[in-house]
Amino acid sequence: MTILDLDDFETDFWKDVDKRATWDEIIPGELRDTRPVTLTQEVIARYAKGVGEDNPLYFDEEYAKTTIYGGIIAPPSIHILLMFACTTTEDWMRSPGTINAGQNWSYHVPIRPGDTITMRGTALDRFIRKDRMFAVHENTFTNQHGEVVCTGRGQTIRPA
Amino acid sequence: MTAEEQFNNVDEGDVITGRPFTVSRDTIQAFADASLDYNPLHFDDNYMKNKFGRTSFDGVIMHGMQNFALITRTLTDWLIPRGGFHRRLETRWLKPVQLGHTITPVVTLRNKKKTEKGYWLLFDVEVNNQDGMLVATGNAMAEFLDVIPGKR
Repeated sequence: MTILDLDDFETDFWKDVDKRATWDEIIPGELRDTRPVTLTQEVIARYAKGVGEDNPLYFDEEYAKTTIYGGIIAPPSIHILLMFACTTTEDWMRSPGTINAGQNWSYHVPIRPGDTITMRGTALDRFIRKDRMFAVHENTFTNQHGEVVCTGRGQTIRPA
Repeated sequence: MTAEEQFNNVDEGDVITGRPFTVSRDTIQAFADASLDYNPLHFDDNYMKNKFGRTSFDGVIMHGMQNFALITRTLTDWLIPRGGFHRRLETRWLKPVQLGHTITPVVTLRNKKKTEKGYWLLFDVEVNNQDGMLVATGNAMAEFLDVIPGKR
């Protein structure tokens, strides 16, 4: 179990750039290298604040207890953070120039403080359209109870 | 209130206008610190003078997922007080969003759908910039539930 430490994250996306798969090297079906992370109440609160989510459900336990949720949950969009938190500096989603073209996400079980989240990530497809190189990725996030918390699919235009 | 009662309290055609959001270097930094996405697309003016395949940008661009997070907030700001559970968001980014631009998500409750076991809402999503230009489109789904999944 690794408690996610936001202050211990490599913010230089040029580091390890040569070790990342290019469009030619992305193999559909091949698993990306991932690690589980544990989300604390503080990490959830920092994420919520950073994206302007000001519903107290995300940071005020006394309030959250009075709701149907029964306690603090993470904003559904926290998979945005998890995608980077669960992958390594060699992951191709960090490649400078990776352009997001669109995303589909579905939400099954809310993430709560103390949850340890595991990511399974792979490319589903790659194609060339209008001279642009696309990759389609699919991510599944699972909690420590084995429940799939959210699943997502997206398209990125890969750097030349 | 039961899920059925909550479902009966919302109307097809309801329009939800999100909070306008103006992009600055500070908002980009805050989003990077929240999302851990430090791609130079969002920071490095010199890097952005390059051509990206057939695309070139006029300076740094906002994270696409910032748009996703703003649409999510627009949906959940409306859903949570009404007892709705956010189930799905599908987006397409049509235009890059640049420094100084102001974007506003607008969500329309297009259909209510009762299934055998569920009470569903289907939304259309549009995000416009300050010039009324469409920068993103999408669809979303929400459900009214009597018990939150995974609750212990």
